[in-house]
Amino acid sequence: MDVRRRTLANGLRVVVAPIPGLRSVAVLLAIEAGQWFEPAGRPGIARLCALAMLRGTTTRDAKTWADAIDALGASARLDVGSHAAVFSAQSLGDDLGALLDLMADAVIRPALAEGEVELVRAQTLAQIEEDARNTRAVAERAWRELVYPPGHPFHARAIGDAAVVRSATAEEIRGHHGQAIRPGGAVLVLAGGIDPERARAAGERAFGVWEAKDGRTKREVRSVALAAAVRRLEVVPDKTQSDVIIGWPGLPRNDPRFVAARVTNMVFAADTFASRAGHVVRDELGLAYYVFSTIGASRGQSPWTVRMGVNPQNVERAIAVALDELRKICDGQVAAEDLALAQDKLVGELDVVRESPGGVAGLVLEAELFDLGPDHFERYPRELRAVTRDQVVETARSFLPPDRHALAIAGPPLPEAA
Amino acid sequence: MTLYGLEARHAPVVTLWVWYHVGGRNEVPGTTGMSHFLEHMLFKGTPLHPKGDLDKLLARYGALWNAFTSEDVTCYFETVPRERYGVALELEADRMRNALISREETEAERTVIVSEREGLENDPSFLLGEQLQAIAFNRHPYGQGVIGSKDEIKLMTRDGLYAHYRRHYAPNNAYVIVVGDASPDELVDRATQAFMPLDAEANVDPPKAPEPPQYGEKRLVVRRAGGAVPIIQIGFHTPRASDAMAPALTFLAVALAGATAGGGESASGRSSRLYRALVDTSLATDADASYNLMKDPYLFVVEATLRPGVTHDRVEKVILEELARISRDPVTDDEFARVRRQLLSATAFTTDTVTWRAWRWGSLLATGAATSLDDWYARLAAVTVDEVRAAAAATFSERKRNVGWFVPEAV
Repeated sequence: MDVRRRTLANGLRVVVAPIPGLRSVAVLLAIEAGQWFEPAGRPGIARLCALAMLRGTTTRDAKTWADAIDALGASARLDVGSHAAVFSAQSLGDDLGALLDLMADAVIRPALAEGEVELVRAQTLAQIEEDARNTRAVAERAWRELVYPPGHPFHARAIGDAAVVRSATAEEIRGHHGQAIRPGGAVLVLAGGIDPERARAAGERAFGVWEAKDGRTKREVRSVALAAAVRRLEVVPDKTQSDVIIGWPGLPRNDPRFVAARVTNMVFAADTFASRAGHVVRDELGLAYYVFSTIGASRGQSPWTVRMGVNPQNVERAIAVALDELRKICDGQVAAEDLALAQDKLVGELDVVRESPGGVAGLVLEAELFDLGPDHFERYPRELRAVTRDQVVETARSFLPPDRHALAIAGPPLPEAA
Repeated sequence: MTLYGLEARHAPVVTLWVWYHVGGRNEVPGTTGMSHFLEHMLFKGTPLHPKGDLDKLLARYGALWNAFTSEDVTCYFETVPRERYGVALELEADRMRNALISREETEAERTVIVSEREGLENDPSFLLGEQLQAIAFNRHPYGQGVIGSKDEIKLMTRDGLYAHYRRHYAPNNAYVIVVGDASPDELVDRATQAFMPLDAEANVDPPKAPEPPQYGEKRLVVRRAGGAVPIIQIGFHTPRASDAMAPALTFLAVALAGATAGGGESASGRSSRLYRALVDTSLATDADASYNLMKDPYLFVVEATLRPGVTHDRVEKVILEELARISRDPVTDDEFARVRRQLLSATAFTTDTVTWRAWRWGSLLATGAATSLDDWYARLAAVTVDEVRAAAAATFSERKRNVGWFVPEAV
């Protein structure tokens, strides 16, 4: 993969990955302004700020800015994750300069006007209300509340807490923008049908004026561990299926054990068909349509969770079966074939994901955001292959203790409680 | 069987898509959901590749693979590293004629499909859409949807599934699209070798149940406690994908709601008419418009998720005013250029991914919308201002209208 990097004077890293033969370019701008960098006790401020940034700048009102994005035919969105706020976009290669100018305008010079903040606030409160009847969203909220104490960056979902959303002022949002939206630590990835030098120059032209800011106060975050199994059932009326999350606090992306954790995740439950939990829960027993696990990548202990959609009659059995599979791994029952399958899949996916400019951009972004090194793409497949059975067992024992999990269930009443 | 190949050299992968001309459209009451159920059973093994073999082989190569069933087609695909193309071909050719579909696996999979249906039922938009589709079609099987009712899923028999399989899964009822890192000739030649030995079945006649004209608005209300916010869906009868009006209807959907959907985090599509009329004005949190390419006449659907406290009446009135306006007044040159650019760019975005390039081509062929990606692109690029207005005027009439309200009930 052809990847070229340059760090601008303001600290922004511009990384270009040309892919000959394509017409479009995928753009990812990751700013260290995710939940991890949110002010303590104010969950939801980061997302409010991000959404308000999309509603007009000091040089273009919301309508003009939106018209300009659509006139390019670009797709664009700004999502707040556990680590970063990621502005992702795609345009035709020839339009890259104009797209970056619009993105830079929103990032560097947002108006954050009162009226637009009110609109974003109302939209967010409506979404929170809608989510209260969404079993997946309810399970996610409940699970986070079980695992992360109040004040922890991951205690709430990125959408935040309704009370915070109601009370946030435009001034607070401007303050957050001033603090968190900064070029230091940010990464701009451009991948697709582009001339690398022209793309880099366009990135520098658009974002070179972004002023560096002084160091920010480091947020003290205490490490989290589950002392025992904890469980919460949230009844959501008039639903037919329960959404189940079993999970644990994970480990930082920079932790040297993270690669082993990815392999462990694949052996256990990452894939509905290739992993053990999905194989047993869906394929052998027919208890669920979907079963998969994810491990978050951030500077902190992002969620490491297994998710299932299950009929209420089958909830307890599906949970028991998934945890049984985990216990077997912790007991050392990891067949060489299971480990090889997990490694092959993770390595093979590195080729397949290159089929799209967005896939390439995503690979590059993770490597840059977590300083995985310029030789990461050459090293990473070898590191995946080098993970041993003992490392998988040890990782599961350390991070996924079956008897110290957090379980959230959202949906109809369960049979015993009905 | 016809095979189509296309080169894509930017990544070391090949994507193989097998399309069968069978879906919800080919079902009759009592067997709705059969094509979708069958799709699940195609992953349950053949004599040569017992259950689990396919999953593990494809997983081992890091493949992106899946299947889906629509009203018109059932489709299987895998995107694999180019050196594994042969494996993908072998698996697809094998399961085209040799799926086991055992009684035991049918029973095991039944609960998975019920679970899939129950997951959909948790979504108020699905509940409303399913009902809207049902009232919009009196005769045509499109009214039955795809996944089938829970009762029918529970009653589906192994023998019925197997007969459906033998009847529809044969090379003469399928076509293959392959795109990837090799010459089109090589891609197609290898696919030909894989599928050539398979026997054809008797040809299947397309279903003959044309939908009679609708003579006035139909309305329905779904009242459930499972959603917190009100939803409106309005479906208008439209011509099929092969109709000359199809590109203008595709254009119209983008003019109304943009080329990409996306909620609050999305920054694109905000210049669209419905976003401006509903979201910017605080009446709705989301607005969408879609014209799906289908074999037979289907629906143009407009959907809005209302802000809490806003009434259905008010939003419906605004939507209908917007539809009347675009039916009456030609779009301005600026707006036309903006929509055209969104449409053509979105086409490029889709086709810059190997997997979705094959999907797009296959869906055009399945429905008769176009003969190639270039053909469809040219048809979209040739749409005129007058055609957009005329398509809107022909579509957004009271006689063709089906209106659905989702009304959240108090707990």
